[in-house]
This record gives sequence, C-alpha cells and structure tokens, in this order.
Amino acid sequence: MTLMNRRALVRTGLGMCGAALAFAAKPGEAVAADQEALVLYSGQHRQTTEALVAAFTKATGIKVTVRNGESPQLAGQLLEEGERSPADLFYSETSPPIAALEAKGMLAPIEAGTLQQIPAAYSARTGTWVGSTVRCRIVAYNKKMVAPDQLPASVLDCATSAWQGRVAYVPKDGFQEQVMAIAHVKGRDAALAWLKGLKQYARAYNSNSAAMRAVEAGEIATALTNHYYWYSLAREAGADRLNSALHYVARQDVGALRTVSAAGILKTTKKAAITQRFLAFMVSEDGQRAIAGSVAEYPVRPGVASPFPLRPLEDFAGAPVTAADIGSAADAYALQREAGIA
Amino acid sequence: MQLRARGLRPAPSPWLVLLAAIPIGLVILPMGYILGRAWDAGPAGLWSELARPYTMGLLVNTVTLAVSVTAGAAVLGTAAAWCTERCDLPGRQIWRIVTSLPLAMPAFVASYAWASLGPWFQGMLGAVVILTLSSMPLIYLPVAAALRGMDPSLEDVARSLGHGPWRCFFRIVLPQALPALGGGALLVASHMLAEFGALSLLRVQTFTTAIFDQYQMQFNPSAAALLAAGLMALSLPIAFAEMRLRHGRRFARVGRGNSRRLPLSPLGRLKPVVLAGFAGTAALSLGVPLMTLGFWLWHGSSAGRGVGTIVPALLGSLSLALPGAVLTTLFAVPLVMLSIRYQGRLTALADRLPYVVHGLPGIGVALALVFLSVHYAPAIYQTRLLVLLAYTVLFLPLAQSSLRASAELVPPGLEDVARSLGRGPFLAFLTVTLPNLAPGVGAALALVTLQLMRELTATLLLASSDVTTLATELWSYTGEVAYAAAAPFAAALVLISGVPVYVFTLRTLNVDEPR
Repeated sequence: MTLMNRRALVRTGLGMCGAALAFAAKPGEAVAADQEALVLYSGQHRQTTEALVAAFTKATGIKVTVRNGESPQLAGQLLEEGERSPADLFYSETSPPIAALEAKGMLAPIEAGTLQQIPAAYSARTGTWVGSTVRCRIVAYNKKMVAPDQLPASVLDCATSAWQGRVAYVPKDGFQEQVMAIAHVKGRDAALAWLKGLKQYARAYNSNSAAMRAVEAGEIATALTNHYYWYSLAREAGADRLNSALHYVARQDVGALRTVSAAGILKTTKKAAITQRFLAFMVSEDGQRAIAGSVAEYPVRPGVASPFPLRPLEDFAGAPVTAADIGSAADAYALQREAGIA
Repeated sequence: MQLRARGLRPAPSPWLVLLAAIPIGLVILPMGYILGRAWDAGPAGLWSELARPYTMGLLVNTVTLAVSVTAGAAVLGTAAAWCTERCDLPGRQIWRIVTSLPLAMPAFVASYAWASLGPWFQGMLGAVVILTLSSMPLIYLPVAAALRGMDPSLEDVARSLGHGPWRCFFRIVLPQALPALGGGALLVASHMLAEFGALSLLRVQTFTTAIFDQYQMQFNPSAAALLAAGLMALSLPIAFAEMRLRHGRRFARVGRGNSRRLPLSPLGRLKPVVLAGFAGTAALSLGVPLMTLGFWLWHGSSAGRGVGTIVPALLGSLSLALPGAVLTTLFAVPLVMLSIRYQGRLTALADRLPYVVHGLPGIGVALALVFLSVHYAPAIYQTRLLVLLAYTVLFLPLAQSSLRASAELVPPGLEDVARSLGRGPFLAFLTVTLPNLAPGVGAALALVTLQLMRELTATLLLASSDVTTLATELWSYTGEVAYAAAAPFAAALVLISGVPVYVFTLRTLNVDEPR
C-alpha cells in the first residue's frame, strides 16, 4: 500500500466518521415533533392499533404517535420511565401488564361515561383501564389425532395421566390468566396441582404460535391456547385446508375463560382531555367496528358484530372470573415457580 | 486511574485513556444498574433464587449449550478453514463465500425453518446442531485469515525436523491460529449466553429465555435482574479464559515473512468426502431457511401486504445500522489499542467488560438504558443518538475482535519510529497505525452492521416511534402469523446482509494475502 493510498484512506475514514456522528447527533426528531399528538404505547397487534388510530384520527383530527412493542416489555419500560414517561396512553394486548401499572398507581381514572359503554366485567374495578376486545381460552386439537368426542370436558383433565404427552401448553400470555382463574375458583392448591400435572404429563412450548403450529403439523395432539391463534392460522393458510380445529370446554368450566385486551391513561399525561376522548372513541360503535374488522377477537361493545366467523361468546365462555379478578397475575408466576415450570 | 504497564513502555497517553474510558463508561452504566437492581432483592432473594432446582436446570442447559456450540463451531470452523486455505479443495473461492454466508441468515429465520421441519430438531440436541451451523462462520473467517497470513517457513522447519502432518498442525499451525480461534470462540460463547429467538422456537430453556419469561410474566425488575447478574457471573470466566489463552504471546512482525504461495496439502481419497461435507453443511445452513422463506411467500394469504413499506424499512435499517457500526468501531479502537499496547490487569478488565454485557439478554440492557437515559439524559431519550449508544453497548465486542486481529500485527516499534521522527502521538496513530488497522476496521464495520440490521429489542424500546426497520416489520408480521407478508422483509434482510458478509469475508480473508 503506498503512502498516498494510506492518506486517502485515512481522509475517507475520518470523513465517514464525521458524517456518521453528525447524523447520530441530529437532535430532537419525532418525539417532540408534534405537541398536539397523543403518544400511545401499544402491545396490541399492530394491525388492530393501526385500524383504531386511523379511525380516531379521521373522526377527530387528532394525531396519535404509536410506539409498538410487546405488552409486558412496554409495561416494564413504563415502570422504568416512571413520572418522566413521554407516553399518554397504554394499550395492552392482555390485561395483566396494564393491571400491574394499575397496582403501582400509575394510571388515571377513566370517565364514567366511557366505562358505562361496555359490560363492567371487562374493566378495572378502580376504573383505570377499560377493555377493548375479548379473547378466550380454548383447546386447539389436530383432527387426525383426536376424535371430537374424546376431547376433555374440563381444562383440568388435560393435566392428568390420561393425556400424557398429548397436551401442549405455553407458560406465557393467556396461560397466566388461566392459572389465576383456577386459583380464583378452585383455590390455590388446585392451581398448583394443575401446574404440577402439566409439568408431569404435558409439553411446554415457548410461544403460542409455535404450539398452534405444532398441533397443525401433527407434532402434538392438543394445545391450550387463545382462540385467535387458530383464526390467524386459518386466515393465512385457508380454514378448509387446516388439520386443526377448536374445541370449547364445558360452558361453566374454569377453562372457558374470557380474557381482555385493555387500554388506560398514564397519570403523568398532560393531555388528559384528549386521552379521555381516545378511550371514549375506542369503546364507541365506530371504534369497535374498526377494531373488530382487523382481528378475530370479540368486540367488547354489545351490539357490534365481528366480521369473522366467531362462535357467540355466550354459548361457551362462562367461567365465573373477570379480568379484574385476575389482576396483574403476579401469583400465577409464583405458582409456576412452586410447580417448577418457571 | 492508574495503569500498570509492563516492560519498557511508558504509561499510556491520557488522551488514549480518556477515549477508552468513554465506551467503558457506557458499558459499566447498565451493568451497574442491573447489579443495583439485583442488590435490591437482597441476599436472601439471591439465595432463594439460586438454590432452586429450576435455576440449576437453567445453569446446566446454559453451560451445555454454550460449551457444545462453541466446541462444535470451533472444530467445524477450523476444519473448514484448513480445507479452503491449505488443501487442494476444488472451487476454494466459492466454498469460502458459501461457508461465510450463513452469517447473513438471521437465527430467527433459520430456527423457524428448522423447527417447522418437525419435532426432531427441537430440544437441546437440535439446538446445538442448528446453532453450531449458524455460528460456525464466526470461527471459520478469523481462522481462515490466520491460516492464510501464516509464514509457511515455520512449518517447513517442523516438517524437515521429522514432524508428520498432524503433529505439525497441532504443534505449529494451531498455536499460531489460536488467537483467531479464541477470539471467534469467545464471540460464539457470548452469543449463546444471550441467544433468545432461536431457542424459544426450539424449546430449550436457558438463563436468557428465563429472563425474558420473567419480564413477560411478572413486573418485578429486581427478580429479573437477579438472573441477569447470574448470567454476568457466567460470562466473566469465559471472557477471562480467552484472555489467558493469548497471555504472554506476541504476534506482531515487521516483515511479512516469506510471501510465496502456501503449499496445499493433497486431500487424496478424502476429497469426495470433504466436498460432500461442505455441500451438506451449505444445504443445511442456507438451503433449509431459504426454502422456508419461499414456502411462506407461496402459501400465505397475506402475501403482498405491506410491500409498500419495504423501502422505508430498508432505509430505516440502514440509517441506524451504518452510523451504529461506525460509532461502535470508533469506540472500539482506543479500547483495543490500550489493551494491546499496555497489558495490565486494568486494561485487561476494560477490554473484557464489553463481552460480559454482550452476553446479557437485550431486554435487560435496553430497560437499564431506558431508566438511565430518561432520568439522567432526558434530552436524548428515544432519539437516534440513544439507539446508537445502545448499539455500541450491546455490540462493542464484535468490533473489538475484528480490530484486535489487525492491531496485534502492528509492531509498536512502527509508532515509536514515527514519534522519534517528530510526530505527535495522535498524528503517529493516524498516519502509521490506523492505515495498518484498515482491514480490521473494514471487518469490524461489516460485522457490526450485519448484527445491527437484525437488532430488535433495543430498537423497539429506544428508537423514535416513527422509525421502522426490516427487523421490526418482520417481528410485527410474524407476531400476527402473517408469514407471507413477513417473507419479503426476511428476504430483504437476508439479501442486504449478504453485502456486509461479502465485505467481511473479503476483508478478513485478504489480510496479508500474498500478491
């Protein structure tokens, strides 16, 4: 390498570094770009959030800046941010992360008029978060591996030797609510026994979509999961081509559980009035219709129908447990630890 | 700060120390925060966490995975390097590229592909096989470069003294390649400690997957920090073991030795076997994931959704990854120079700390940075600058390992000569040392860019809300089970990653190429 070459190389290198640093230091950006825009931290499926936000902006002219992420990670982020959070609203895919913020006193009360629009079972007792959609726990099964009449009547049966090696469970979202529901209805010991049974007889998967796929592929006969994972798969691959189907346990069984996605307002927001408007819109007919069209979940507002071929909730999901009973599900994790699966 | 210098070299210039202190400070902050959180849980909490059988199981899994994958990749990578550099393997140039290409395949895509082939690949054995294949290039490339840059006269001497080919390999060749091998192995091992995406699909639980679970299921940062602290304790011995490996060795040479072509060993009857091995490895590590991408695209109803956002996502990826790589490399230079030129305990520690953070799960480090920046530097919170700093914290070791390979070959005497001719230390570095580092800088930029393109957690938490990258789009579509919509983003990620892999391969393998 000649000397000239080296000098040229060093010059180019220094130039590049300078440019990169200038680029890096470019301050401010979008965070504070629009003083009027609401900042929404959202762990809900992005399609759903986008549909809701687009409808809201169209109806009100108010812009919303969305930060997408996993709900529990966003809740963790909000906890770390504390009083300095730039967020105005939090939209959680499941209720425990937002209930955890409720428990820490980080959420502001929601206007009564908004809460009254939907059944009380879908909101916080403190009125600090409000349901957006309902999803339910189901048993997905492979039609070639289990006859419909042999499917379990209760989710409790799945943790017995009769189902050895034939049940997949995912100790993540939805599962915690299930554990809490069992503890709430049957007592803590029953929940612990159920978890120990699963540990002994069932197989753990690390994500709901992986478990759903395993059932579809014939890798395992059944999976304890949420209903919309099957609908997502059906939409992607075509329902008539699937090897898997949904099984609903007995209507009053503790496994026939409704869970909710929910949203709330951060106490630290400086835009209290428009955050309230956002939540009011979310549970309104227009808001609910926008949400319902984007995902195979049940609208929380009575009278709004989902365009997806969903079985009516009243027919099967009758477990006497609400999202508020479940709370932040902190005890579910403690139970999982006691059972040795976490 | 007092630095113990060995030998006759004077204490390092305060400027160098200051420049090295910046990246070290950046790395120490999140470590300190995590340790502080873990401390909140108290000694009782620590004991009850560590003494549980579940934690023991995690420990066994984590160590098994890290040791097996590192050993497997080391053996496979070294063997492949020997074949492409020192044997009469037909089509060597093509095999060099093919063997490096798995680097372009994000582990998430690869393990999705494997997991969907059936349950056989799930579990520890499958994870070891898949991760060994995908991390093998990290060992192959530096070792191949070392083999290529080696002066063959030492081997000639050994052979003339009656050593057989195997003995010659283990006594002469391997010790010379050891620093390259050790550096690569250290990277692989710390990757394995932090691996999450691939393992969650393959049903293996390690410390890192458990930490993600904790963040997922309970909202108690102290408990998660306890496990992260345990993980740090695991990383430290790995980082220092590699240090011992290179302790007391000197690699710098002024002359380039004999620049004749390296002699090639005949493979003889083994040739078809070796060729089949290369072809099989390539088919497994590249073919299977590519077929899966094709299948996604072909069979999904969501095909074509979001195609319009592919260009902004690509630009978003580049606008974060390129400056991120430059910044990371820039910070790594003083750190590497300090630890090579002034060997001592403090400089060794400074050089190793980034590896410890590299072994931590991204979510823990990202949340620590959320807290620290929002409370102490709110002006940069959720700006581009903060994401770039987070990238530096997470990926510094990738730049360090590439730079070190070049920096160790530069004799300190060169700088001394420049100084004696009247140049100041900074100018001497710029005009004499830096040009000699060029291959390492190129390799560092390429390798860091590659990893930054697929970074997800820190980008989601710390970038400004309007930034989308290929990785965030891929995450969001696969989360919705919209695999056909995800496929073009995955393909774009693989294709664009091919560029740095190509540059990295050329940069690494052309070091000291005889002309």
